Parts: sequence; C-alpha cells; structure tokens
Amino acid sequence: MIKFKNLVVAALAVGAFASSAMAIGFTKKSELGGFDGFVERMGAGVRELGRGNTGSADTASMPGAYWNPALLGFRENIGYTVNFEKRDLDRIGGAVGVEGKVGKRMGVGFAMLYRGDTDFKVIDDDDKTLGSASPFFSMFYLGFAFRATRQDAFGLSLSMSYDNLDVAQYFDGIEMEDSFRSPVTINLSWFRQWNEKWSSSVIIRNLSFSENLSAKWTKNPSKDNSLASTEGVRPKVLQIGIGYRTKLLGKNVGAWMEAIDYQVADTLLAFDPQLHVWTGRVGFDCEIIPNGTLRIGMDDLDWMFGAGYKFDIRIGRKRFPIEVNYAFLYESRAGIWTPFTLGLRGYIP
Amino acid sequence: MKFGNIKSIVAGLLVGGALCGNAIAAETLFSNNVFAVAPAGAEGSLWAFSRNGSYSGVTLLTFNVPDKGSVSLESTEKEAVSDTLTAVHNGFLFDSDEFAERRRIPAVYTGSKLGLVLPMFAMDDDDRYLQPAGFFSILDPKTINEYAIEVPSNAEDFKDPMKYTVSGFAYDSTGKRLWLARGALGLMVHDVSSNKGSKDTTFVLNVEKEELEQLKGSTVLDSTKYLDVYDVRLHPETGDLWLATAQGIWVKSSSGLKNVSKKLKDSRVTGLWMGGNPLQIIAETNYKDKKNVVGGLWRIYGEKSKDFVKVDFLDTAGKVLKKDIYDEADYTVGDVAFIGNKAFVLVRTAGGSASGYLKLDSLGVKAWEQDDDGKNQWLYGYETGATDRRFVIKSMCAFPLSKKRMGLAIATYGNGISVSADSGATWNVILNRAKLDNNLGSIRMVPSVITPGDEALVSYKVGRESKITIEVFSYDMRKVRTIVKNAVRNADALRSTNPKEDFWDGRDDHGKDCTMGVYYIRVKDNHGHIGWGKAMTLGGNFR
Repeated sequence: MIKFKNLVVAALAVGAFASSAMAIGFTKKSELGGFDGFVERMGAGVRELGRGNTGSADTASMPGAYWNPALLGFRENIGYTVNFEKRDLDRIGGAVGVEGKVGKRMGVGFAMLYRGDTDFKVIDDDDKTLGSASPFFSMFYLGFAFRATRQDAFGLSLSMSYDNLDVAQYFDGIEMEDSFRSPVTINLSWFRQWNEKWSSSVIIRNLSFSENLSAKWTKNPSKDNSLASTEGVRPKVLQIGIGYRTKLLGKNVGAWMEAIDYQVADTLLAFDPQLHVWTGRVGFDCEIIPNGTLRIGMDDLDWMFGAGYKFDIRIGRKRFPIEVNYAFLYESRAGIWTPFTLGLRGYIP
Repeated sequence: MKFGNIKSIVAGLLVGGALCGNAIAAETLFSNNVFAVAPAGAEGSLWAFSRNGSYSGVTLLTFNVPDKGSVSLESTEKEAVSDTLTAVHNGFLFDSDEFAERRRIPAVYTGSKLGLVLPMFAMDDDDRYLQPAGFFSILDPKTINEYAIEVPSNAEDFKDPMKYTVSGFAYDSTGKRLWLARGALGLMVHDVSSNKGSKDTTFVLNVEKEELEQLKGSTVLDSTKYLDVYDVRLHPETGDLWLATAQGIWVKSSSGLKNVSKKLKDSRVTGLWMGGNPLQIIAETNYKDKKNVVGGLWRIYGEKSKDFVKVDFLDTAGKVLKKDIYDEADYTVGDVAFIGNKAFVLVRTAGGSASGYLKLDSLGVKAWEQDDDGKNQWLYGYETGATDRRFVIKSMCAFPLSKKRMGLAIATYGNGISVSADSGATWNVILNRAKLDNNLGSIRMVPSVITPGDEALVSYKVGRESKITIEVFSYDMRKVRTIVKNAVRNADALRSTNPKEDFWDGRDDHGKDCTMGVYYIRVKDNHGHIGWGKAMTLGGNFR
C-alpha cells in the first residue's frame, strides 16, 4: 500500500515535471496560448478549480460532460452545477451543467463553459477609442456514458464552440462577422474506480472528422470576403488523471493529479516532442470540519486555494444536498490574483 | 472603422531610426490613413487628404521652420468632406487596382481660384467608392466645393466606370482653366475664367486626324480612333499642354497636336511629371501583359535632351546596371516631387507590399546600399527613416517651407505623414496619438483589432529612462510572445514607445499566427510599474 506521504511526493514530482515541461523548452514550434481551446483549458467548476483544476478522475466532479463524460455513468440523481468567476483584466467566466442517470447503466449530461471580456476597448488606427466591446467564447458539451462494470465506465461527449467578438459594429465599410461556431468535435473517455481509494481516467479530446482527425475549421471574419479567412484549431488532448482518497487523522483527504498532453500540430499522431506541450495539474482536499473542505492545487504554474461547504435543504420530506464552493487563484506567469470565484452545485433526489 | 472628428492630441516624437530627426508636437490629422499630400500655396503649408473607412477629410498643416532647418508644426485645421464622397477610391485604398494611372491620387494646388483639386468618387451600386463623380476644389478647410461632372451618354457602354476616372490635373493660371485627364473620355477643361460661372468641355484625341475634337453625342468612343488620356501637364516654360496617352506623349502647342516622343510613340504612357532645375520631364509607361505589369521610367533631363530616355539604375559604385527595379517587382509611380536637380519618385508595388521613393539625379537612380545578397537597395522609406513604421507610402510631394527651403512630405496608410526639411536626410512624423498616463498607467494597442501581419502598436509612457519588457498573454494567461525584454526606453512627455520594435503582429514567439481571440499585453518597467493592454486578432492560418 502506498503511504499518503509517498503519494504526495510522487504527485508533486509528476506535477512539477509536467509544469516545468514548458519552461524547459518543449514548445519550440508553437505556443499553446496561440491555439483555440482556452475555454476548456481553464477548466470548469469552482470546486475543481480550488484543487488545481483536477476533476477527471473523481466521480463527484461536475459538470461531468466536460471533465470526463464517463463519470456520468456513476450518477444516481440529477446533478446540477452553476459557477461564476471574475478574473482581473475584466475577464469573467462560468460554467453550468446538468446531468443524470439514464436506465441502469447509462448517464447523460450537458455542460456549457463561458469566458468573456467585459471591457475590450476598440481602438482604431487613429488612436481613437471607438467604444467598448464584450467578446465572449463558449463551449457546449453533450456527454453520454456507459457503465460497463461496477468499476468501469466509458464516455463520449460531443462538443462545439460558439464565439462572439462583438466588434463588428465598430467597423465601417466592412461587413464583418462577429460570431463563429466550430464544428462538432468528439471527446472519448474511460474511468475506472480501482478500489475505494484509487481511481483513474483517460480522456482524448478534440477529435474531428477532418483529415488527421484534427479539430480544425475555417472562420470567415467578413461576410463580403474583404478580410481573409482564418482557421480555428484546437489541439488534440490526451489527459490522464489519478485520484486517491483516504483518511488522515480521521479526516477525509484526497489527492488528485492529471497529466495533459496537447498536440500542437495538425497531424494524426506526432511523436516529435517539439510538437507537444505537456502540462500537469495536482490538487489536494481535506474535509477539515464535517461537510467543510479546504483545497489547494496547482494547474501548470498557476496556484489555487479553495473551500467548500455542503449542506441540505429540506423541502417537504425531501432533502436537497447543496454544496457552495469558493476558490482563490493566482495566475503566476502573468502575476494576477483572482479573489472572486463562486460555485454552487447539488443533486435533486 | 467608424470615424468621428479626431480629438486634438499633441503628437510627435521619433524614437530610433538613424535618420529620423526631430520630434514634432502636433495637432493631429483628420486620420492617420493619409492618401495624398499636396502644397497649399503659402510657405510652410501642406494639405493632407485622409480616408478612414467610409469617412474622408482634409487637414491643412502649417509648419514653422526654425533657423537650424528643423521643422515644427504650428497648427492644423481639419474638416470632413461629404460622407458619401471621397478622393480615395477603393482600388487605391486596397491597392487592388492594377492600372498605373489609377494607382495615384492627383492632388494639385491650383491657386486661389480653385485651391486644392482632387478627384471625387461616389459609391457604386455595391457601396464601393468606384464611381467617378467629378472633383473636389478645396479653398480652405471650411470651403470644400464638390464639382460634379456629367457623364456623357457616350460612356454608358463602359462596364467599368473607372475607365473614365480623373487621373491627372493641370491648371492654366493665365487662362484660368483646369485641365482634367479622364481616361477613355479624353480630356476635359473646366473653364473658370468667366465671372458668370464655370464651363466644362470635353475633348477626345483623334489619333487619325491628330487633333483634339470636342466630344459630341454622336461620337462613338472607339479606342483605336480616340486615345485614352491618362495624365495632363502644362509645360512650365512653354505653356504647352502635354498629354500622357495610350499611344505616346502628345503635345498641344500653337503649331498643333503632335506625338512628340519617338521612343514612346506607341507606349502606354500612364503618367507625366515636370519640375526641377534643370527641368526634368518624367514619364511612366505601364501595361499589363498576360501575367505581369510591365513598367518603365523615362525622362527628359535639361534642355539638351531631345527625347525621352530610360532612367538608369546604378549600383552603389555608380555603375549602370542592366536590370532595374522594374525587373524586381510590378512597380508603379505614385508621385514625383522635385527639389533642385533631384526628383523624388514615389513607387509602390501592385498589392502594396513594397513602397518607397527613388532619388533621381542627373545620372539616374543610385543604390544607397547593397545588401548581403548583393541586391541593390534603391528605395528610400522605412529602412532609411522616412517612416518609423513599416506602412505603405501612398503619396509624396515637395512644398515650400520658406523662401529658401523646399520641404518633402510623404503620406502613409496608417502612420500619418512624414515631413523633411533637408531633402529627405531626416524626417519628422506627424500623426494622431491619444493621451497616455505616466509610468505605464495606460497602455493602448493601436489599433486594438488586427489580423496577423498587421502591427498593433504598444503605446505607453514612462517618466524616466526605463528598461521595458513587453509580453503577450493568451486569455488563460499563457505567454505567447515576448516582444521586447529589458529594452531601454526614454522618458517622454507624450509617448515612450519605440514604434520600430514595440508592436504585436498577432503571432507567437515562433512566428505562428495566433488564433482568433483576445490577447493581453503586459508592459513592465524596471521600476516596478506594470500596465496591461488588450488586442484582438482575427486569427490566421495554421502553418
């Protein structure tokens, strides 16, 4: 049996390796930040954010359609989640999800992720501020799961993005297009609960029907073709997660870790390390008081702290479990603190 | 982009650029997108015509010339023209018109009667400014006259109205007549000699009869019989009317109308320019073969020359070369400015990827540098400090700065105008700039919406000499680009930005286009100040 201390050391080591992968120059060909997909790279759900955006190997993670559609196979009730965050530089975001059981072995879920900027100043060639735009970027997921055994479930989700730049109104003489929609992409996943302590997940994201199965599509920024068409590209993702739950000093604790590989190339499979960006996530949570949890985590180089509290609301004879979550985020590369994220989740029995 | 009257801003500085000269604090232009510059009659006065999206306007700039030869801007006045008219047609704006005679805006100061004259375009049925509508006569910013020119019924068969666009002006101050070259519609004279009003008469050049005959309703505009007229000039010494036509250069003098150049007898001559001391007459020939635009630069230099000869292109040692700049790309002439015995010939490639001016002296065009690949550099422009950003130069002119000194001005699409008081040795940039807060208190990306390859200038100000680091982050705060790191920037009352370096082109550190989205630009100095700006790229292509 692996001792918790060893697990922490191992988790930190793998996380640090993954986190430092970028720093030591594996990304010579392209910068991950220049690709589409930041909406999903930033995770969803304040509970998971507080522990380093780790959620793929935890059956309780929500929205399951985003984190790992296989998790939907473990739903017993209708679950819902609503999350909101306000980051520095006028960035706001959020996620909503609803999911439930279908039949004995299946689950289905929907998720929407949202990121936007509430004050993008449109400045023209004359250094004149024409106004403020509120561009937003969203992703939608529809997930399905099949629970093959008591321990294993397989999931599939269909995702697509819808973006709106909100700047067309400021362009004169060009019939500019504001909104862009990606084609449907496919995400495949597997979840296994090895025993009451260990769990694991494998997810492959952003497969499409194009050549090389890449999630790549054309965007035409103008209706009159006065602007050159551009391409949207979301890298293929391989995400592997591990979860470990135990009791420490009589308190429930959990350790979570994810290794993520982004293939920043339009090829079916690329083995050249220069065409990959590896990152890692690691998180811990501890139920320090009954129903009250503290969390800490690291997503790549960003640090997070979180807290959550569970309680029930009784309506008639029914109890509705609810959890309120909060997270504090430090985006270390940019040196930005985000003190305000809030999430609500629960189940309808 | 939408456009209103630009807030008056003090502008002007130049950081970097070996040849760049003094900073100018200036009231700003109607728009930084300037497409034509022209003398304004008075010493130290200059007209600039701008278009920003659908809106166009003029700026009258007045300069001071201190003793040392530098230039300082005294004042500017600006005014919009009618929002349904412009002097900048879409083919010129987007560099999409391949016909050399349409790849320039003739902007001529005619004197107090008509002031600055410019062609005038209205929108066609597709809301494009491609419908010739007459000409502007601008006496001052408050007196902008619009002269509509009727299109005769003879021209109704032309599918492309730009075939009869105005591509040249010549003003006869003695006869008070403005001559207009109108392409397929020949030559028009706008007579303002009478106090009762103006009178327009159109002539076509009958190549068989060798005469200018008045256009009648019954005239069939057959291009083999009637020559297109692309430019018109009045000889400064003889007063003869020179015409650049589809078949050579024709001169109307007291002895009649003649095709005067044997060398260019059958050439499609698209432009004519006269000036300088000794007098130079420069002609551009240009036609399109199956694939390429074939251009040529010709001139008559001084009194001894009897006919046009092709302009020589020389290497840095002064050796005449067999190949010239026209062998490198499809260049066309935008303008020619004359100062003394030099002609400054503005050229631009079709598509606008390269632009700059040639210095033409008695020997020809001499290269100012030979690069590592042995390629001769003839073009003066961004590389020689004429502009501080790599923007297309659209127009050029010489104008009197004082009694003794002529100035040069160039107009850029996006970076205002540059003015030189020393024949192009040093330049001063004048453009619109918003007010900035000190010590990185405000960061402005100009413009804030770009496509990859464009330049969003990172505009900031520091109060003391600083080492500046500029980085670009994606929405999820992943660093995608380091623009400069610990670059020394000087304190400046207006802007500390080095426009040659401090810009984002929508690409990451490896030169890859960033995909569509909002990006965040962090500017840090070594004194603990941090500022953030935002830019949006419309995305590029995955490579």
